[in-house]
Amino acid sequence: MAQNKLKILILDDEPIVCKRLKPSLEKQGFEVDTFTRSFEALQAVQHTKYDIIITDLKMEGMDGMRFLQEAKKIHPDSEVIVITGFATMETAKESFKKGVFDFIAKPFNLSEIQRVVMRVEAKIRGTQG
Amino acid sequence: MFTGLQNLWQKLFKPPRQLLAFPEVFEHFQELLQDHQQIMEIIADLGEKSGGEYVFDRKYLLDTMNELHSLLLRLVKALNLISENRYVELYAALDRILLPLEAELRGRLTLPEEMPYVVGLKEAPLDLPELVGGKAGALMEISQRLHLPVPDGFVVTTRAYRRFLDHNQLEDRIHSLLADWVAAKLDTVQVSRQIQYALLAGVIPQEVAREIRRAAQGRPFWAVRSSAFGEDGELSFAGLHESLLQVPAAGVLEAVKKVWASLYSPGALSYRREVGLLGEEAAMAVLCQEVIASRASGAVHSLDLEAPESEALVVYAYPGLGRTVMDGRANLDRFVVERRRPFQVKAKNIVIKERYRRVAAGGGEEEAAVDREDRERPTLREEDIKTLAHHSRVLERYFKRPQETEWALDESGQIWILQSRRLASPQPVEVPDICESCSFYPVLIKDQGAVAHAGVGAGPVFIVDSDQNVESFPEGAVLVTRYTAPWLAPVVPRAVAIVAEKGSPAGHLATIAREFRVPTLVGVEKAAALLPPGEDVTVDTHNRVIYQGRVAELLRYELIQSATFEDAPEFRLLRRLLKRIAPLNLTDPQDSNFTPAGCRSVHDVIRFVHEKAVQELMDLPRFLKRFKEARVCTLVSAVPIGLKIWDLGGGVDPEARGNQITVDQIRSLPLQALWAGVTLPGVWSTEPVAVDFRGMMASLTRTVGDGLGAPSYLGVNLAVVTKTYLNLHLKLGYHYNLIDVRMDPDPQHNHIYFRFVGGVTDLTRRSRRARLLAEVLSKYHFKVDIKGDLVLARILHLPPEEMRRRLIALGQLIGFTRQLDMQLKSDEDVGHFLESFVQRLEAAGDSPPQGGKDGTEQVENPYPGR
Repeated sequence: MAQNKLKILILDDEPIVCKRLKPSLEKQGFEVDTFTRSFEALQAVQHTKYDIIITDLKMEGMDGMRFLQEAKKIHPDSEVIVITGFATMETAKESFKKGVFDFIAKPFNLSEIQRVVMRVEAKIRGTQG
Repeated sequence: MFTGLQNLWQKLFKPPRQLLAFPEVFEHFQELLQDHQQIMEIIADLGEKSGGEYVFDRKYLLDTMNELHSLLLRLVKALNLISENRYVELYAALDRILLPLEAELRGRLTLPEEMPYVVGLKEAPLDLPELVGGKAGALMEISQRLHLPVPDGFVVTTRAYRRFLDHNQLEDRIHSLLADWVAAKLDTVQVSRQIQYALLAGVIPQEVAREIRRAAQGRPFWAVRSSAFGEDGELSFAGLHESLLQVPAAGVLEAVKKVWASLYSPGALSYRREVGLLGEEAAMAVLCQEVIASRASGAVHSLDLEAPESEALVVYAYPGLGRTVMDGRANLDRFVVERRRPFQVKAKNIVIKERYRRVAAGGGEEEAAVDREDRERPTLREEDIKTLAHHSRVLERYFKRPQETEWALDESGQIWILQSRRLASPQPVEVPDICESCSFYPVLIKDQGAVAHAGVGAGPVFIVDSDQNVESFPEGAVLVTRYTAPWLAPVVPRAVAIVAEKGSPAGHLATIAREFRVPTLVGVEKAAALLPPGEDVTVDTHNRVIYQGRVAELLRYELIQSATFEDAPEFRLLRRLLKRIAPLNLTDPQDSNFTPAGCRSVHDVIRFVHEKAVQELMDLPRFLKRFKEARVCTLVSAVPIGLKIWDLGGGVDPEARGNQITVDQIRSLPLQALWAGVTLPGVWSTEPVAVDFRGMMASLTRTVGDGLGAPSYLGVNLAVVTKTYLNLHLKLGYHYNLIDVRMDPDPQHNHIYFRFVGGVTDLTRRSRRARLLAEVLSKYHFKVDIKGDLVLARILHLPPEEMRRRLIALGQLIGFTRQLDMQLKSDEDVGHFLESFVQRLEAAGDSPPQGGKDGTEQVENPYPGR
């Protein structure tokens, strides 16, 4: 527990996704903020550095793709996990070869995303030395 | 939509002028089986998703329903192709089931025509808050699921309310008044007064009034209360709607109208506008309950929210009727009680009681003075406090939130639950660092098993290893078991968590656990050995961790902080959808209800289609007439079951003449292998058999058709074969086996699909048999699903020699299981028989590929079954 907690941002316009993920990741020892609107999430990344960003792709308003590009501009070393409907999975993989840590297809189970987040954590802790 | 479908169907498929050739029919049948299997999987999948382990959104539900829809259309079409359109009514059945599903998905309240105007509190269907409203819905769950005492009564449903609006043509009027209000042409008080006046002036239609009167006759006085859709759920309409106490039976009709009108009180209107509900259709059910002439009444808070870490609950009490209690809390007796058994009272604060309210002799309420000697006496005895504490914890465990429960104690000493709702926290509760807190507790089991229902529960471990100690299972313990058998069902509601060594999230135990919202892990190997009986453990199925001791911080976090997925709209929607999808009502093909019109769920439809499709294929005389070129012969074998063999090419020795063939004239590779297993010496008998050989053969070959007047197709055992293919329907005694095999040189093409169902004994024994089958099949790396006494096993992509070994074993298994349900008298027998079966296989020089004799060494499936 000596290490600082990593900060996670979750963006999904379906409130249920945020509601389920937040407590699950908090229990894993992360600090979690959730957003259902991309512009609010974008405001948040402007003054807070998130170590991990978990975002949906298809949303009303600014979509997840643009959001994560903007977020990466501000903090290039934020790691991004994309969650998306199964149908858009292939497109997602194609267009995001660069910069995205991993993809998770909806519906997913909680242990699935916990495993991916643990891998990201290992990577971040590793590079920090 | 029905006519639309019919037109579409007529375009797609004109009745054939000439009959389809058999191979074509058989192809349709094959596709039908595949679709059937896929729908079964979707149903299991949806059930699994309702357990909370998965995160899904509305879109997932929409997509799945669309997929289900097209599969069902294809399934029904295939049956009609096979049967020359004798089941066109199935399209109407599909409409009847699917249209409400689609309406649910669009978020509309659907109240099917058959829904009643008035329904008894104890009989009403659960999970229909749109019919009975939130308050009545919660009380029904409390009464029907949790079996806590709730005063009896009835509900005037939202359908009665709609009928009333219709009858008085009020809907449009209300809409236009609301529109004026939104456009600020009317103020809140004006719009409220006008709508309420219209409602109160309305006439309750005869058919509705008659039913209300009939229900109200039963008692002289009633409590008449609002039960709006959405009330007491996420939203709190508390106190916004009317509640009338002590209503005489003759006054119930008027009281119901008053409660309806309260839906449009100024307060209710403003609140609905504020939370953005104005666009939704408002609907009000009315709850009418027996009035409890209470000696004392009050409330329980399942958690002391002012000091959540104190592990205490609080009981408030006062003599007499409840109204005094709810009006002001300041001068009530207050008991602080430990949340754990034996519910020790930690502190009490007894007030001086001067006056109280009671039921007046002629009805109504009156105020009276408290007897001098009772003024400083506690309102409740210790045992009443303990009973209340118990009820409060049961309610909290089920609703997953701190509860505020109103109760009444009657003259006979019985405690009644009047209402229970979420206890709202007065101030934001401080969040502990949950990760750090948990790290102080030793972990007993981690990352094992699958989640059947997500949640957290803590209590002493109690291992149930046979149906003998089901009775002694203590309330509030953690159920640890090696089995997932149906006889565990009575234990589930009493358990705070369940850990099972066997089972799948789509299985029987998982389904019951979800019904009662008990956090459950299945398939946790060696749980019974790792979890110490009698010691406290905390089971967190969200994270698949079992801690030693009670992790108080985690339990509190769950209760206050964590999202309760059970009440999320997506989960409620899924549950409602499942109600129209998963239940199987058509179980007996002989039943007069076994018709397209009798189908009430998706499961019913596919059960019906499957049964009829098999019957069509089994109906030999009709087929023989239709397909003169088909070649059918009877197998002459030492096992005299009169198997008919239908050769589609290369399955039978071309030299064979006449309508009988011998075993060595079989050329179909899968049938050869299977029959080799069936006819192995000793396969039909089990060790010390109490039945003589002749008698056993008689029972073996007896079919349902004999003497029961069943149609003849049930008696026919049919194998459809080619050189590399086998589709076998075998009805032995009362069991029904279906085996579908493709056995090609190329493993990629190969599959074995085995389905076993039926039996004459009681369900417990049948499930034992199903479990035994499952264990043997898993030893052969089949992917096995058990649903009650239905066993489904599949394996894919095996090379021919591996296929052959399994088919021989299947042949043996078919013979072997014939007698099983008669002999599996206890659960120990399962292991015993398993061992003897494995030994027999070894004697025949064919042991299971891996796994020890005792079944403990389960290795990972090298040939995943899907």
